[in-house]
Amino acid sequence: MAVDVVSYIVSGLIIGSVYAALALGFNIVYRVSKSINFAHPALVLLAAVVAYLAVSSGAGLAAGVAAAVAVGAAASVAVERLIARPLQGRPPVSLIAATLGAYYVLKGVSMWLGGGSIPQGSLYASGWTLRLGPVVLGATDLLAASLALGTVAAVAALHRFTSIGVAMRAVAEDAYGAAAYGLPVRRLTALSWALAGVAGGLAAVAIAVKANLSPILEAYVIKALAASLLAGLDTVAGIVVGGLVLGVIEQLVMYVAPMVKIGPLDFAGFHEAAAYLVMLLVLLFKPYGLFGTERVERV
Amino acid sequence: MPAGVFKETYLELMGFLRYPIHRYSALLAAALLAALPMLADQFLVTKLAFYMVFLVAVIGLNITVGLAGQISLAHAALMGAGAYMAAWLTLHGVNILLALPVAALTAAAVGTLLSLPSFRLKGYYLAMASIAAQELLFYVYQRWVAPDQYMPVNPDAKMLLGLDLSRGPGLYYATLLVTVLAAWTAANIGRSGLGRAMKAVRDNDVSAEIVGINVTRVKALAFAVGSFYAGLAGGLLALHLSAIDYDNFTLEQSIDFLAMVLVGGAGRVVWGSMLGLAAIMAGQSMLEMMFQGNPVYRYLLLGAAIAFFVVKEPEGLIAVLRRVKEYLRLWPFSY
Repeated sequence: MAVDVVSYIVSGLIIGSVYAALALGFNIVYRVSKSINFAHPALVLLAAVVAYLAVSSGAGLAAGVAAAVAVGAAASVAVERLIARPLQGRPPVSLIAATLGAYYVLKGVSMWLGGGSIPQGSLYASGWTLRLGPVVLGATDLLAASLALGTVAAVAALHRFTSIGVAMRAVAEDAYGAAAYGLPVRRLTALSWALAGVAGGLAAVAIAVKANLSPILEAYVIKALAASLLAGLDTVAGIVVGGLVLGVIEQLVMYVAPMVKIGPLDFAGFHEAAAYLVMLLVLLFKPYGLFGTERVERV
Repeated sequence: MPAGVFKETYLELMGFLRYPIHRYSALLAAALLAALPMLADQFLVTKLAFYMVFLVAVIGLNITVGLAGQISLAHAALMGAGAYMAAWLTLHGVNILLALPVAALTAAAVGTLLSLPSFRLKGYYLAMASIAAQELLFYVYQRWVAPDQYMPVNPDAKMLLGLDLSRGPGLYYATLLVTVLAAWTAANIGRSGLGRAMKAVRDNDVSAEIVGINVTRVKALAFAVGSFYAGLAGGLLALHLSAIDYDNFTLEQSIDFLAMVLVGGAGRVVWGSMLGLAAIMAGQSMLEMMFQGNPVYRYLLLGAAIAFFVVKEPEGLIAVLRRVKEYLRLWPFSY
């Protein structure tokens, strides 16, 4: 029993680290543009499809990663240039609808690349396993988790330690102030979006390695929004906590749910919806998350 | 004798039929709509009636989003609440015409519940809350309400005094009546005190609060009214279909609804909704015919069209229509 719980928690940590990487794209964009990029799920899907096509053409996983990163960055910059920038200063609903339009377009491109539908298949297969007492970890788990955590760490380090990262943070914090110091605000904003695309591409490979490529891949990214909200939309390093908590909650729900039965309602399988419940509860009770800055704005 | 039409009271300015041309075109439209089943062929009439169902839903979302500025991506799920309620009632022997208002009220109750996040949140946060609500409701439909994907609608409940409301002219006239009533009410909400309060909340909630509008109440009402329309549309959907399929109530359908509102014209409750619905649903039907149901082009072209319109034409097709009307009014001069 306890052993079961431990292995559920460990797999929650694995998928949670992938959630963190998937959510990173939302946070980077939110910091710099104060908007949610609803095209991100399709961007991740597109990057995963490109990576899959590269791998299945025999180019190897490294080439797949490179292709995913390139496509992710290009798509993200395109969304910034064609949608986010012209819509600056317009009400959120316009940006939401326009990025949802971009979501459709990117999804259409991924389906077109797959020949009419999202291809299904695995990106990386290996029979190798690591046994730690009762917990068994496959090679895909370890690869996905390390790629995901590496992505978050790299972005956090870039933001913290490099001068270009500091400049990006400055633009995110106060665009007018940054412009007054002579920083190229537009270029740095575009760069931040590109970074979000790169993170999306890497996360796409991680999730495709962990959960295989399938049409429901984008659902993971929508669920990752819960991780973003849990951590707070304007944090970067905190996203790891949000992702891990979300992953563990989901797995624990998966463990507990089959035993729960309220009247005729059977809760088996409820873990699929658990992330949305977390999202709703966070928004109701702690909208700015664990590490986010609270904006006092009450009506 | 004045040369032209002059309005002397505000009441006259607010009227629906302000100019002679409005009166003539309203008469013409009414005659055309009433005589349509005699003029057009069956397929076209049924299709039009089916579009009207969605028009009711879009009008509802246009009240929530366009008038009150509360973003909702859960509209399809609310429509589902109405549809399932209506279907369930017909299975228990309730006539569909009685089930319609009950379905609408059910959806309104669910929608009021969904307005809870809006008391603290706005903009992107509210949109995310509605996505979460949409997915949770979808899960409920999928797992608990209709585990076999379809919930049948009792065909015997679709009779009224021996007239079959589920096909042919009966279906058309029943849908038309409900749609016209819904549209007329919606247009009146827009020019009532409630509508003005909604617009105030949309434009600046802080100042709305300061001038004494109960913002919380207005937001709750905006969601309630919007979801009432969604539920009504769901009930009409139960009238049209022989079984309710949960694939009608996905997140993508919600996205399409929002796109219809914005492409058509947010805040222009009836005409904006009509234009948006016509543009997007007709576009979808055409793409489906052109590419034999291949979904790739639907996503590509529809998505591009939505993004293009929102970026280039913030007020939506209604602004295009206004320019066309202005051009025709001045024709053959350019100004």
